[in-house]
Amino acid sequence: MAKISLRIGILIISLILALFFIINFNAFSGGVQVSDVSINSSAFDAGISKGEIIKQVDGVSVNSITAFYDEVSKIHILPVEIKVQTDSGLFKYDSTVLGFELDENNTIISLSNASSASGLKKNMTVEWINNYSLEDYSFSDIKEKVEPRQRIEILTNQEDYIFLTNENLGISVKPLSKTNIQTGLDIQGGARALVKPERRLDSMEMADLKAVIEQRLNTYGIKDVVVREASNPFSGEQFLVIELAGATPKELQDLIAKQGKFEAKIGNETIFVGGKGDITKVCKDDATCSGISQCVRTDQGYSCRFSFELSLSTKAARKQAEVTSHLSENISNGESYLNETLDLYLDDNLIDKLFISSDLKGKETTTVSVSGSGFGNSRQDATLNAQENMKKLQTVLITGSLPFKLNIEKLDTVSPTIGQEFTRSILIAALVAFIGVCIVIYLRFKKMKLFIPIIITVISEVLLTLGIAALIKWNMDLPSIAGIIAAIGTGVNDQVVMLDESETSKSYTIKERIKRAFFVIFSSYAVGLVSLFPLWFAGAGLLRGFALTTALGISVGVFITRPAFADILSKLTKE
Amino acid sequence: MEENTNGVGVDENSQNLPQQVKTEATIEQKEEIKQEKPRIEEKQPKEKKNYVLPFVTSETYSKHYKKFLLLWVIICLLIIANLFYMYSTTGDVMRKDVSLTGGTTISIYGNSLPNVNELSNYLSNKISEEVFVRTLNDITSGKQVAVIVETKADANLTQNAIEQFLGYPLTSDNSTIEVSGSNLSSSFYKQLIIALLISFLFMGITVFIIFKAPVPSLAVIQCGLFDVLGALVIANIFSLRVSTAGIAALLMMMGYSVGTDILLTTKVLKRRGENTIDYRMKSAFKTGIIMTLTSLVAVLLAYFVVTSPVLKQIFFILSAGLVMDVVGTWVGNAAIIKWYCDKKGYN
Repeated sequence: MAKISLRIGILIISLILALFFIINFNAFSGGVQVSDVSINSSAFDAGISKGEIIKQVDGVSVNSITAFYDEVSKIHILPVEIKVQTDSGLFKYDSTVLGFELDENNTIISLSNASSASGLKKNMTVEWINNYSLEDYSFSDIKEKVEPRQRIEILTNQEDYIFLTNENLGISVKPLSKTNIQTGLDIQGGARALVKPERRLDSMEMADLKAVIEQRLNTYGIKDVVVREASNPFSGEQFLVIELAGATPKELQDLIAKQGKFEAKIGNETIFVGGKGDITKVCKDDATCSGISQCVRTDQGYSCRFSFELSLSTKAARKQAEVTSHLSENISNGESYLNETLDLYLDDNLIDKLFISSDLKGKETTTVSVSGSGFGNSRQDATLNAQENMKKLQTVLITGSLPFKLNIEKLDTVSPTIGQEFTRSILIAALVAFIGVCIVIYLRFKKMKLFIPIIITVISEVLLTLGIAALIKWNMDLPSIAGIIAAIGTGVNDQVVMLDESETSKSYTIKERIKRAFFVIFSSYAVGLVSLFPLWFAGAGLLRGFALTTALGISVGVFITRPAFADILSKLTKE
Repeated sequence: MEENTNGVGVDENSQNLPQQVKTEATIEQKEEIKQEKPRIEEKQPKEKKNYVLPFVTSETYSKHYKKFLLLWVIICLLIIANLFYMYSTTGDVMRKDVSLTGGTTISIYGNSLPNVNELSNYLSNKISEEVFVRTLNDITSGKQVAVIVETKADANLTQNAIEQFLGYPLTSDNSTIEVSGSNLSSSFYKQLIIALLISFLFMGITVFIIFKAPVPSLAVIQCGLFDVLGALVIANIFSLRVSTAGIAALLMMMGYSVGTDILLTTKVLKRRGENTIDYRMKSAFKTGIIMTLTSLVAVLLAYFVVTSPVLKQIFFILSAGLVMDVVGTWVGNAAIIKWYCDKKGYN
């Protein structure tokens, strides 16, 4: 045993390499990983995204989840005095938030405990808050100005974020993953869509389409997007597989199935369209030039309006000036408007009609305010819906329309919580299966010392397969795991062949016997490998994981662990 | 355990076929004469008779291989009959789930899961398409993990109906929703079937390259087909609705199953002159059956423990295929190869 043979050496080196690829050494340098950022929180607006590693909060290193939450709980926002002037008098209270909501007539429609304790009641009409008059400022602007916020500095592996936050920072964290093994959608949760373009695309068009989809999803706020091409190898049909790991946004369907063709028209004349050509900048996530302006009660519930500003290119501005110069003026409600409206179309549906103020007639203005609305049963629902619609509209205005129409052929959303349950059951299954195999082997060979090499090879094969998967950044999905288990089955099979061969045909030397075993092993390997091959191409590649891990598993088995096992075996039998 | 029942099955069959036994006897005598000369190394096997699986001895194949051949033909016919029956009643050789036909699968997770029968009745009234509702259980904790609803109906319709029944909305935290268009699903199905055929072709070519001789190669190749079709029959008997993952498992079975056949054929044909053919067959059986048994124990245990429907399906198909492999290899392939050696006069 003193000398380590070449083959055992190769196994050991491969194992060390595999561990090197599997272990995430970043995890040792400290930090916590962002597991989720709640939408519309201050961290979300600052641009912190899922997956970033937080190293420091306000200059203090955070190496555990508790350390992070301790540091975050220090964000202690002191209440400020809030003075609300209403039609029924002045009310004062100390709070970190305003604690009430207004309708379009500045009438209070809901109250929190703190604000109602001061005597504020529903149906009172608010005139000004802390010297900000509602005539001059919108309610959301005042909220922004009055509610106290604190500066926070968060250092991540990507950037040093400094921003103002209220008490809701909106970051959830998890411990750093100790491994580099990436899990697939069906384990970590997420959404996957398989879409088909309306017609055949050449490779340039396909690349364009992919880029626009990625940009559109990123602009919308979805960060981990994978867009990959797939095709039916037999009919040549083209597909795009779009995967969002860890996120299952219900807007996904709208974002990719709708082309997002935006047009602003006056009469039949198109003034500008979505995308970089006509629009130079869209105000997004900035309360000074975008937001929900007002909500009204309607027959079916509530309707909220959103508006945001955008900057037009000079070409588009000139076009607008030219068209408006031919229009006449109309006076309604004491204000003067042009006789035609600016009509906004999204995918050929009219989404809004905007009155054009008379003083814009014939003028080249580059700043345009775009608006639209959202609806809901409650005021809150309507606000959320309006925010969602605003975000979608901003997204298509920034990215332009998709160059081609897409049909969603398959859409799967997997809950992130369920994957943990699956993982747990897989680990138990692997353990139980392993014990079962050991019992069968023991009943057959009745030698305890054979377990050591079998256990070593089984564990080695799992590690080597995982190591390669981590190296090539393969997403381990459920079929991939089934593949590993199946490959290990083959591995144990081969060991049985070798053990039996080493026991029987005593007239040969141990080396010859093992050589004979290798004929069977290599033949089975060749057959196993070629029969897996077609799976790589069929079914839009969704079952590739199964083919890949099985092929990897049996390959490392045949080329690395089996030769080492043979050497260990001949050493064991010599003794 | 499967091997035991198989052994019994063989005996019963031989009792039911007295005519067959007669012809057997004459062949046996012929063999006795043939084997007279090369019986130099015959001593070894007799010493080692008492093994884990005592029902296969050196004589098993030499005495009974024609019965085995007949049994194999009968099972093949039964497989074809089942697939044909399936085809004539349902229009396909297997029951397909929505991943292959198109439709919606909604899995509901959580602590308070709905009653399957009530939900099933409720949905059948609401949805015009056929609705399948089943539970997913965790054998290790004895708990019900999920309720799975499968239907060809539209996703929104199904989701609304389930939400009405539950009284709470389905979110990404308590459910998994998979929607497949019928065009795409039937295209997937076609692709996977073609992949399966190509896989079969590749396997066949490789086997031919390894053994060169047509009859032994065909004997190995038949086993791949036998296992895949046999696994389908078991799936049909258990009313399993096959998914894309299930077909992937069938495809894998194609390559996986021939390992034991390669072992058998190598031992019988490539090691002529070492001991007798019967001894070599017995020794191949001894090794091969342990190979199959270890794999079967592993995938069967995994089948019972895992809670993911995808993995459950894969492990079910692999278990079924391995059970069939015992028959395909040690009844079918073994009998064919023995018969072939007899014809050729190999020992």
